[in-house]
Amino acid sequence: MEEIKLEHLTKDFGGFRAVDNVSLTVRSGELFSFLGPSGCGKTTLLRMIAGFEIPNTGRIFVGNEDITDLPPYKRPVNTIFQNYSLFPHMNLYDNVAFGLRIKKESKAVIRTKVRDMLALVKMEDQAGKYPDQISGGQKQRIAIARALINDPKVLLLDEPLAALDLKLRQHMLIELMNIHDAVGITFIYVTHDQSEAMSISDRVAVMNRGEFIQEGPPDDIYERPNSVFSAYFIGETNLITGEVIDVEDEYAQIRCDSGDGEFFDIDSTFKFKPNPGQKLTLSLRPEKIAISRHKPHHQEDINVIKGVIEDILYLGSHTQYIVNVGKLKVRVFSQHKRVYFDDKALDWEEPVWLFWHDTDTWLINELPESNGFEHDLTTDSTTHRQVRRANQA
Amino acid sequence: MNKFQYPTYESSHEQKHRKRLNLQSWILTAPAMLWLLFFFLLPYLIVVIYSFLTPDIYDIKFELSLESYRQIFNGDYLRPFLISFRMAFITTVMCILLGYPVAYFIARSSEKLRSTLLVMIIIPFWTNLIIRIFSWRIFLASNGVLNDTLMSLHLIKAPLEIMRTDLAVGLVMVYVYLPYMILPLYSVIEKIDFTLLNAAMDLGASEVKAFFRVTLPLSLTGIFAGSILVFIPALGAYLITQLVGNQRSLYIGQVITYKIKNIPRNWPMASALSLTLLFLVTVLLAGAYFLWLRNKQRRRGESD
Repeated sequence: MEEIKLEHLTKDFGGFRAVDNVSLTVRSGELFSFLGPSGCGKTTLLRMIAGFEIPNTGRIFVGNEDITDLPPYKRPVNTIFQNYSLFPHMNLYDNVAFGLRIKKESKAVIRTKVRDMLALVKMEDQAGKYPDQISGGQKQRIAIARALINDPKVLLLDEPLAALDLKLRQHMLIELMNIHDAVGITFIYVTHDQSEAMSISDRVAVMNRGEFIQEGPPDDIYERPNSVFSAYFIGETNLITGEVIDVEDEYAQIRCDSGDGEFFDIDSTFKFKPNPGQKLTLSLRPEKIAISRHKPHHQEDINVIKGVIEDILYLGSHTQYIVNVGKLKVRVFSQHKRVYFDDKALDWEEPVWLFWHDTDTWLINELPESNGFEHDLTTDSTTHRQVRRANQA
Repeated sequence: MNKFQYPTYESSHEQKHRKRLNLQSWILTAPAMLWLLFFFLLPYLIVVIYSFLTPDIYDIKFELSLESYRQIFNGDYLRPFLISFRMAFITTVMCILLGYPVAYFIARSSEKLRSTLLVMIIIPFWTNLIIRIFSWRIFLASNGVLNDTLMSLHLIKAPLEIMRTDLAVGLVMVYVYLPYMILPLYSVIEKIDFTLLNAAMDLGASEVKAFFRVTLPLSLTGIFAGSILVFIPALGAYLITQLVGNQRSLYIGQVITYKIKNIPRNWPMASALSLTLLFLVTVLLAGAYFLWLRNKQRRRGESD
């Protein structure tokens, strides 16, 4: 088991820079994810580690071995391809045995190892079938067995669950974690699905436009995003711009413009040193906000603002409220626990109080690149409201 | 397992619909069927009947005779058959060896280039076969283009005698039948998912091994189809052997033609030879198909 080191990797396709000066150390045995939207360079990065792309500059190490110039078939890594790429002309047994046969292992060794591998992925009774006779989840397992049988030092997974439906995806995710625990080797996992990356990874690197935006444990990235991009891409959030008024210990007081001439102050936590007068962005997760028609009695260490409910979206496990605070729209997730506050449900156009703990506001040292972030939300909720109103009428 | 099954019955409406569909398909296929009946099946029937009759100088006598078949079974015509099979076999192998790289290259080139290349493969079909063969004669003749060029470059002193040899027949055969190999190969190779090659290389196979273990097995159907398209016409080739071959080694196509063309004519012999050729080809194809099926089944069975 060895760590993987990427040093200043850059890859250009024509004039397009797919990966831009990326450096990273993946610890041995870690389950590490590259997370980003499509076209962010995560797959290119993976293909460079696998050997299918040659970096323009930079080196790749597995342990102390420089594998940058090795062809794919000489690297101590194996890949799970997005569409599994099982060999259609071989049955599952032969698919799994492929790597060992290339290495010219003896028949007895192949037989034992293939059986063990098929048992690991719970496919031992299907060995004689062909790839076109099994389901997507089963193909996935065979692809894993076919890769792991070669004892790779690193397993690369390229969007392995993208082709599966939701329930199966959740199931395979757990199975992948179990397999990772069982074999103990390093996994590098590429996905655009933040919930997948969050649930499975030891550490995540958020990527955009060929660069690493942030890397760290999932909860760290979620709770303490270092940029507007990671705050927005991981989970749901409210991004509010404001000006630093005062900084005191680990809290900063931010004055926000509600857009209709009124200002309100929010206390926030941060990781960098904000300066008074600086304009920056607040990230406020919708599930951290409490919503009520009554003003909270206890207000110490609490941010309290006032708004009007514009829209209510019932989502089963929780309800999403869109609350107008001046011209700002704040999203609030509220779970259906009727122990607190009023039992009477909140209604459209009702004035409400929003409040949350100071430590749940997080300060980001940049301004949103564009206000396009909120676009999808507003259109969605408008249509929804119109439908609701039409139904009520 | 889905145990529930929908009851299978047809409403009278569905039955009517099915009958109408049946009628429609009969009407639609009738012209082709009639064509085949009158211009393929009936002539073949005549050939079959002729093969059991007695030859006359110009025509036939309507007397039953097995003389033609006796001579064939006697081995009198073994040599032309062997020569033809050998040449067809060599042609097929050469077409595979030459055609595969071409088909592979076309299948992997960009879409724009691909259609240009395909058109270039098809263009020779626009020229009459005889003209193309004659151009080869001009090219290969002892004072032809090839020899003149080689002589003027002082690579050879005396002209190479290629015309009227089996080599010439082979060259022209491969030239004429190569597209029949390339096109089916191309259509199969084009459908191969090339990420499978990535997968093979990822699992430790070099480019060469990946080719032999993945690409080649997956293109076998194309090789099979192309081989049939090349082998069968090459077996009965008459024009090429007649125009660039020699009279010392007669191919079966030539023998059959001579039996009809030269006087005294021997229609029954020509018919019997044709039918023997047909029979051999059928046996060969059926055998190949059987082997193919068994191989597939055996592979399905060897799970352990």
